[in-house]
Amino acid sequence: MYVTYCMSNGSQATTEVFENLKLELRRGCLTLAVLTQLRTERYGYTLRKALADDGLEIDEGTLYPLLRRLENQGLLVSQWREEDKRNKRFYRLSPVGEQILEQLLGEWQRINTSLSKILQEA
Amino acid sequence: MSTSSSRNPLELVDRYLQAVRFWLPKNRRQEDLLAELGEDLRSQIEEKESELGHALSTDEISEILKRCGAPMLVASRLGPRRHLIGPTLFPVYEFVLKMVLLWILVPVFIFIVGPATLASTNGDWGKTVLVTLGNLWSGAFVAAGIITLVFAILERTRAIADINCKWDPSSLPPLQKPERKTSFVQTICELAFNVFGLVWLLLVPNHPFLILGPATAFLKLGPIWHTFYVPIVLLTVAVIVRLAVALARSQWTAFPLWSQLLQTAVSLLLVHYMIQAAGHTVQGDWHPFVTIADGVRSSEQYVRYTTIAAVVNVSLLIGLVGTWLGVCIGGAVQTWELLKHIRKNRSVSQQPASVQLR
Repeated sequence: MYVTYCMSNGSQATTEVFENLKLELRRGCLTLAVLTQLRTERYGYTLRKALADDGLEIDEGTLYPLLRRLENQGLLVSQWREEDKRNKRFYRLSPVGEQILEQLLGEWQRINTSLSKILQEA
Repeated sequence: MSTSSSRNPLELVDRYLQAVRFWLPKNRRQEDLLAELGEDLRSQIEEKESELGHALSTDEISEILKRCGAPMLVASRLGPRRHLIGPTLFPVYEFVLKMVLLWILVPVFIFIVGPATLASTNGDWGKTVLVTLGNLWSGAFVAAGIITLVFAILERTRAIADINCKWDPSSLPPLQKPERKTSFVQTICELAFNVFGLVWLLLVPNHPFLILGPATAFLKLGPIWHTFYVPIVLLTVAVIVRLAVALARSQWTAFPLWSQLLQTAVSLLLVHYMIQAAGHTVQGDWHPFVTIADGVRSSEQYVRYTTIAAVVNVSLLIGLVGTWLGVCIGGAVQTWELLKHIRKNRSVSQQPASVQLR
């Protein structure tokens, strides 16, 4: 019984560590994914759906504060507009955002190449 | 405040948003976020409706809201990140709190407030301990509150931001020698045990039951305690101070060794004088540690009580002699440990710097 308890506690701790690391890994990737998707103008829900369709699920509580932060940093511009008789907030990349995205994508490629190399060597 | 209970299933979304709004700070940014969240939820409902081909029921909308999360949780994600003391300042806050509460407040109460209270209570030890502990508790509470407030202000004003610019590597503390130190838990346990012992000692004069138990009915403490009580209390206080210093200054690797040896020497002297004092016979009546209580001197069982008192006195004397021997052995071991430490330190100081750093 004690062994079972220790094992379940151990696997719980491992899961927690994995979840935390996954969260860290996802954080930067999400910003990149959101900026890339917003090369085309979208509103919150369609953006979330587009990301989910490409395999990157993001909940409302994460996406909207992220959009607000990116807008405050000047990377996005937004406006409320009526569509299908409902007010929706549309986002798109600002000119500064486009420049930053290009730099970020370059960095991403570099990291990806390095990581692939490291994984091949291992 | 009025509450609505209409049967429109979409009303559930508004109720949900209202609940989220309750947990958010009231400003325009949050209203904006809330409007967006509402729009997202309605889009989800709309899509589900077109997928199923009918308007969603209350239960189906509930499912969508459940997936979104409890209002308080969603609000915590949507709202600004708030903390009283951030991760940069928190270690400093923890350090200051520990310093003030453990190394300033507790000694001040033991050495200043306690004796002052004792004087004001006309020597009532029990009352003094209770009053001092009560004052210590409220003092600690107020001190912790003030420190938290100061750090919260520092956090808000970002006064700590320029610490990085003023940082100078030459001000770093010297390397600690890789000495085997007494375990932190062991020292804490010793400290707690001695504090408990001190409290017990302070209570004994007014509550002899704590040392004699039910025998208080016919025995009382002997004259030897009047002579040695204060030195025993002072020795216990010195032990507490020694342990506290060892805890606060863990880098002083030699301190625990020589201070413990000093403590052993004083204890040895004290026990020696106690044995010597106990050996003195007063008018043929040998009752150094415990004596017959005044109230039972004319009792029928006086002889029986005298026998018990004699047994207790002899047992205590044997115990003291045993303690003296034990302390002697302890002192020898501690002297050996101290000599070993000094020898090791000398050999380390003669090694080249590169080897010492390893």
